[in-house]
Amino acid sequence: MLSYDFLTTKKLDEALNYLDKFSRVQILAGGTDLLVYLHKESSRLSPFDYLLDISNISELNFVTPVNNYIEIGPLVTHSSLISEPIIKNNFSILAVAAQTIGSTQIRNRGTIGGNIVNASPAADLLPPLIALKAEVELTSKKGKRVFFLEEFLAGPYKTKLQANEILTKIKIPRLSNNYYTDFQKIGRRKALSVARLSLTLVTKIEEEGIFRDVRVVPGSATPYPQSFPESEEAVNGKSIYNIDLEEISKITSNEMVSITGERWSTPYKRPTLAVLIKRALKKIIQEAKTNE
Amino acid sequence: MSKITVTFMVNGKEVTLKVSPKERLVDTLREQLKLTGTKEGCSIGECGACTVILDGKAVSSCLILTGQIGGSEVLTIEGLEVDGKLDPLQQAFIDYHAIQCGFCTPGMLMSAKALLIQNPHPSQEEIKTALEGNLCRCTGYKQIIKAIERIK
Repeated sequence: MLSYDFLTTKKLDEALNYLDKFSRVQILAGGTDLLVYLHKESSRLSPFDYLLDISNISELNFVTPVNNYIEIGPLVTHSSLISEPIIKNNFSILAVAAQTIGSTQIRNRGTIGGNIVNASPAADLLPPLIALKAEVELTSKKGKRVFFLEEFLAGPYKTKLQANEILTKIKIPRLSNNYYTDFQKIGRRKALSVARLSLTLVTKIEEEGIFRDVRVVPGSATPYPQSFPESEEAVNGKSIYNIDLEEISKITSNEMVSITGERWSTPYKRPTLAVLIKRALKKIIQEAKTNE
Repeated sequence: MSKITVTFMVNGKEVTLKVSPKERLVDTLREQLKLTGTKEGCSIGECGACTVILDGKAVSSCLILTGQIGGSEVLTIEGLEVDGKLDPLQQAFIDYHAIQCGFCTPGMLMSAKALLIQNPHPSQEEIKTALEGNLCRCTGYKQIIKAIERIK
């Protein structure tokens, strides 16, 4: 039986004090994952004595452009990511990915910070955030630490967050006009679907139609989301006019299997991931050609 | 596990309650406030039977601890009716036979109500999106969508 005391606050300072003063504290934000774990008494929960509710700390709920970055508070809900014009205009893939999460009820409560810290292999926002080179800021009484999101993730359901820290900011560098982005997802059905497989592609296309700074991040393909350097290298420097999509799709599928090994799901995921990378490339190539 | 005192609004009335740290909003509504119109189905946020409107938005009351909602405003199915008169949405559900066993109905109505609060003239696609978190296993979705369409 779970047994704990409940702490809640509207101030970040006070939350950090709680984390400093007490040990074995579980943080609660939107609750769309945590309440399920609590209900099931899931083994994913580390034992805890205190539940610290941060969902009412309004200073952790913001979307603000700062210089060349867009800064997002961890309590921004999936619904807000979809409706916030700054997100739509700068990182439409983030809004598209948020739209595919759960249902209206889940999107109204679930937060970007929770999606990151829970670090599920199927977390829908992680692949686009990694591909956008997002950084996360962690705050404790002792100070701040900043990581690239990709380095912050440490395994399935594991991150580098320390017990005394709160994720306080997500920073995403803005993309210049010659960058193109696409998010592809396949679920068992449209609503409420946990991603069976997704793929995020972010790339620059130089004037002569050459791919540069290519970022390929599949979701639900590996134990936790990570970029695919071989696939990125394979696309890098190719031309939108004569890139061999078949060859690229084989490289991406093989790269997945080289990370996961052959699994029961491989006969499904190998050809499916090949289709997703082809779809993403085709879409971006078409867009780039229209913009010429 | 020490109890917490929480004050919030339910259907326009302020309530102050002592709740356990484990108590979910659906538990408080059904067991402390006897508002049993809100149903508990799957308990993991997938079926939508426990949907209520929290500060204007549809949420699953099985995924919220009551301790989290101090100062908030909750609207449940019991709060739709005004002075003994059904909300037009409730009447439309009756008129369009959008009810069979009735278990999903309160959740359906609250999801639909939340949509109409934000968007009084939704398209059919927007209605479907608003209802994607509400499962119905007997009435059929067509009548429900038709009933909501009549309101706009």
